Amino acid sequence: MRTFLAIAVCKLGRFAGRLIGKGSSLPGKFALKICPDILRRVKLPEHIIAVTGSNGKTSTVEMIAAILRADGRNVVYNEEGSNQIEGVVTLVLTHATLGGRVKADVLLIESDERYAAHTFRFFHPTEFVITNLYRDQLTRNGHPEWVYDSILPALHPETELILNADDPLSSCFARGRERVKWFGLEKCSVSSEAPTGVYHDGAYCPVCRAPMEYDYVHYNHIGAYRCTKCGHKRPAPDYAVTAVDLENAAVTIDGETGITLAFRSIYNIYNILAAYAACRECGVSGETAAAVLSSYLLKNGRMQTFRLGARHGTLLTSKHENSIAYDTNLRYIAASKKDCVVLVIVDAVSRKYFTSETSWLWDIDFDQLNVPHVKRVVLAGRYCCDLAERFSYTELENWSVEPDIPAAAAALKSSGDEELFVVTCFSDRDKILSRVEKEA
Amino acid sequence: MDVRIIHFYPDLMDLYGSRANVLALKRYLERLDCDVTVEAVVPGGGTDIARGDFFFMGAGTERAAQAAMADFARYGDALKAAAQDCAPMLFAGTAMDLLGRTVREADGSSYEGLGLASFTVEHGKRRIVGDVYGHTDLYPEAVVGFLNKCGVAAGIETPLLTGLDLGFGNEKEGGPEGFHWKNVFASHLTGPLLVKNPKLLETAAAALYARRGKPLPVDRPVDRWAEQAYAVTEEQLRLRAQAK
Repeated sequence: MRTFLAIAVCKLGRFAGRLIGKGSSLPGKFALKICPDILRRVKLPEHIIAVTGSNGKTSTVEMIAAILRADGRNVVYNEEGSNQIEGVVTLVLTHATLGGRVKADVLLIESDERYAAHTFRFFHPTEFVITNLYRDQLTRNGHPEWVYDSILPALHPETELILNADDPLSSCFARGRERVKWFGLEKCSVSSEAPTGVYHDGAYCPVCRAPMEYDYVHYNHIGAYRCTKCGHKRPAPDYAVTAVDLENAAVTIDGETGITLAFRSIYNIYNILAAYAACRECGVSGETAAAVLSSYLLKNGRMQTFRLGARHGTLLTSKHENSIAYDTNLRYIAASKKDCVVLVIVDAVSRKYFTSETSWLWDIDFDQLNVPHVKRVVLAGRYCCDLAERFSYTELENWSVEPDIPAAAAALKSSGDEELFVVTCFSDRDKILSRVEKEA
Repeated sequence: MDVRIIHFYPDLMDLYGSRANVLALKRYLERLDCDVTVEAVVPGGGTDIARGDFFFMGAGTERAAQAAMADFARYGDALKAAAQDCAPMLFAGTAMDLLGRTVREADGSSYEGLGLASFTVEHGKRRIVGDVYGHTDLYPEAVVGFLNKCGVAAGIETPLLTGLDLGFGNEKEGGPEGFHWKNVFASHLTGPLLVKNPKLLETAAAALYARRGKPLPVDRPVDRWAEQAYAVTEEQLRLRAQAK
């Protein structure tokens, strides 16, 4: 009876919430109050795929859903990104019959890494994709090892892990387990010899703390690592990108499957690979997965093109408090060939909580912008002086400060026609997008 | 003046932008015409403590801090002697834990610290995070920063921050924070403390000069971006503290 009531209340709450435009967590919260173990009581689909990690969760989940649907599977997933237990309960119960059977072939869950253990207390995924673990929102996450310790209890012995072979920390989840599949990027055109970035989280082995050595890296400390003492090393991937041609927006998986990139970023390659591996593990053919991925345009709006006066612009959404997200977008700008201006905005550090914490700026390698085609960098927002202080320690000289975002936009609109790249977070992007003409 | 900054474990203990403290001190001293050398100490490496003018260690994960301590212990006697001789040093974040007598981990295991101070630290399973607005006896301006720790430090009688209007201290909300003895400055405040607090940077530099028997020059560099960034954060956090 409680099961029935929890499902009915959740469905009703979801219906009412949609009418008034409310979020997707509240109905699940009500349902949990009525029946705290509701997730144990419902009949879940044969495949339950979970995705967690510091970066790439939403994009990977979106791609997995698209591939599985193209393969004829009925997939439900938390499209609105409510990735803690209340959102997952809403998702599950909204798609369940009143008798408690979830009407889907696949339940796909983007899971908050800190709360995964809570979410998977009453059921466990059949496949668990962990994209990576590194510095991300440390004001709420502590540090990567703290997050590692939070995820560990969420990993049921029967769950098959799908792990990033190139990440020295998240690869440790495989220790003592048999059911593990690996995805990774082989040495290719984007590789460099040694770790990049301004800090070196891969300098020491996460298992024994001895120094690590690298045969190559793809970005920061993600690459072919090996501990000089305990044997912790990059495993051979089961699914590998074997060639990358960023110039022509193409990658090859396992030496034979070609995929066209909609977004030429190293991140995107890893997300594609994670999605490909997860879907192959669910029985999808390589051809089907590749066909979907080749025509796939990310829906999450993290990249938005626009016009501002005579300028063509691109917003590269970079999570504040996530230096690797910033580094990757700065790398994208550095790799672009056209003359450009870069606008960096830090106004609200987070959209969810107040903080004046800006130490994460010191983890970002802004010197990547020290290339001839970056003509100017403008720093804007409430914390522009923190940005300026950070920039004063770079080799860059062509930067200026404009605290007021509308004034910065107006100045960029009225002068120049170089490409404009805007680097900022979800919390601040509307402050610039409201002043430009968005492209479709 | 030649100055040698000894930076302990810059890769192992470098969470939250810790290394920026060394960059800030180096630049400040260089602008005072000092010839500054930064010596990075790695586990298994070595250094001559007697040659150091300033010692720094930043924040690391709890496991990294324990690994650092396994190497750091051998510098114990020399560092204690240097501290007694008023050598300036800054230990930020989990590096502060290593100055005390013992560190007890959340799993119940424990290890010995350097014993430079008599306090003890206990790590828990709860993360203590948040902005900090506090006060010190060293100068009248407020100290701003951020805490990101899981440890409680007990037995500190000479804190760096005498009280907090915002944030968690050594043992409790709003309580005293950090440790200060002679020219040993330690705080659980994470990240670039010396960048966020220009006065603390000046204080650290003054301590270094004093040990050399010199006053800090009257004409000192002003870092306008750091000053303006401090003003913005100080206002934000003061308003936040007042609204509590």
